[in-house]
Amino acid sequence: MKLAAIDYFILLLYFAFVLGIGWRLRKQISTSGDFLLSSHAVPVWITSLAFIAANLGAQELIGMSASGAKYGIMTAHFYWIGAIPAILFMGLFMMPFYYGSKARSVPEYLKMRFDEKTRTFNACTFAVMTIFSSGISMFVLGDLFHLVLGWDFSTSVLCSAIIVLIYTFLGGLTSAIYNEVLQFLLIVTGFAPLAVLSVMKLGGWSGLVDRLRSMTLPTGQSGDVMTHAWKYMGSASENPMGVGLFAMVAGLGFVLSFGYWCTNFLVVQRAMAAPSMSAARRTPLIGALPKMFLPFIVILPGIAALALAKMNVGYDIPTNDSGYNYNQVLTSLMAKFYPAGLLGVGLTGLMASFMSGMAGNVTAFNTVWTYDIYQSHIKRGAPDSHYLQVGRITTVAGVLLSIAAAYYARQYGNIMDLLQLVFGVVNAPLFATFVLGMFWKRATANGAFIGLITGTGAAVATLCLTVAEGKGGWFGHYYEFSSAMAQNFWIAIIAWTTCFVVTFLVSLASSPRPDREMEGLVYGLTKVPHDATAKWYQRPATVAVVVAVLVILLNIWFA
Amino acid sequence: MLDLRVPSGWFFTVLGMILVGMGIFAPNERAPLTDINVNLYSGGVMLVFGVFLLLMAWRAGRSHS
Repeated sequence: MKLAAIDYFILLLYFAFVLGIGWRLRKQISTSGDFLLSSHAVPVWITSLAFIAANLGAQELIGMSASGAKYGIMTAHFYWIGAIPAILFMGLFMMPFYYGSKARSVPEYLKMRFDEKTRTFNACTFAVMTIFSSGISMFVLGDLFHLVLGWDFSTSVLCSAIIVLIYTFLGGLTSAIYNEVLQFLLIVTGFAPLAVLSVMKLGGWSGLVDRLRSMTLPTGQSGDVMTHAWKYMGSASENPMGVGLFAMVAGLGFVLSFGYWCTNFLVVQRAMAAPSMSAARRTPLIGALPKMFLPFIVILPGIAALALAKMNVGYDIPTNDSGYNYNQVLTSLMAKFYPAGLLGVGLTGLMASFMSGMAGNVTAFNTVWTYDIYQSHIKRGAPDSHYLQVGRITTVAGVLLSIAAAYYARQYGNIMDLLQLVFGVVNAPLFATFVLGMFWKRATANGAFIGLITGTGAAVATLCLTVAEGKGGWFGHYYEFSSAMAQNFWIAIIAWTTCFVVTFLVSLASSPRPDREMEGLVYGLTKVPHDATAKWYQRPATVAVVVAVLVILLNIWFA
Repeated sequence: MLDLRVPSGWFFTVLGMILVGMGIFAPNERAPLTDINVNLYSGGVMLVFGVFLLLMAWRAGRSHS
């Protein structure tokens, strides 16, 4: 792909705006709360878009188009059966406890509801996870830019990291959130034309369906699977994902998605920045509206790429030594459909997605390190200005550690595969801890801690004892899964169930906590404020119903 | 606090103007697989969106003061 001067100019223009927003927001910061939590002062439409954007990293953008070419519209399950129900649950049922408890972070809620050890365990795994995710994302982007544009890996990694560092250092979480919204809008405007143009080339949606139906996939299945989300879900061997109905609904739809969207501080933090309880609850719900249509921007081009490759129009899915290189689907389409000018916008969108993902990780890492690790274990009771200072230093440290993780990922690709698999399941047992903690007042601190440890242990053990696609099974071959994705889903189901059962049993065996200590933390002991002044369309329940109806329609339409 | 609609409005207005300009003054700038003037149309949409954000911000600013 060759860039023109105008494309570079657009990229620079974007950098100028991002830095400008950070510069304008620098004066807002006078306490650690301003820097790390935005002091509950961000309008709800901004928190909603940031809620979605912080999750829309470069890896997601590149990965989803790759999965689109590999698995077709089934990839949308990550949105329609995965994210959306979990987001609804989080906004309606969990946000009242997060926001109402006045906790500053997810680990801090665990401290209030259970005790210090559960919090510290969660804070540490989360901190490690954010650094590695941001490093892996950085590596994916640097690697792609090197391959496609010939840019030097170190230059693109360092330049983008420095820009993220400057604007988060200046304006803290508010600056990260504001920029995430700009980045989200840019990602949509930069990639929507790609979906439109590639599908138009195929003669519209019906043209795409017809072309795919007549072809055979590399897996030997009929191309018809590519345009049906549910039709081939009956057994794992019928679809290219190699996942059956139960694993899909229970593993992805329930455990993994709820684990991610309901307990990951990276996204919860955005909702917590909202100015009121009602706004905090609406943040995920409003965010769900654009979220459910994202598959048309991030997945559809991938599906179209597969059909285009069979059309003899001069497009082919990029290859490398080991077959198709699906990670390059997105950029290869951009090269074929975008002229100089729009190509710059698309490229800037890719850069923006990377930055929003990284800034999200760094700002979450910041808060958890400063409040949950530093303030509770290293130095208690210092004046607030001290913690503001620590927050700022942690921002620099977080960026430096992410850069180190990116180089590490470049050096040891295989270890990274493993780490990603492990991260995928870390949140799974945690969701069981939260369900019991929030909705069952009998759950105790020891129950939660032992449950979480055994749940995480069960996840790692399953990973080490089973094989999928020739990987895993370091300590033995007890079971072989039909695909790595199926393995991932089943690990999550096992981890969640183990944590749930162990927490339940240990709680019953230990003495309960008095009710008055848990007011505002547990269902039944918390008054959810009912804002009677809110107009009907401002009520969380109304937004939730609209989202639910739309997502059901989408599932039926593309069944 | 900074109204985010102002910087994002300006960003998309400028971006839209650049692309529309490309579409008008370099109409033959085409990608291999399309025969429509992609820059002109997508730039137009961005321009309208940018101006819309600026108008919203301007209205909100007026009702404030």
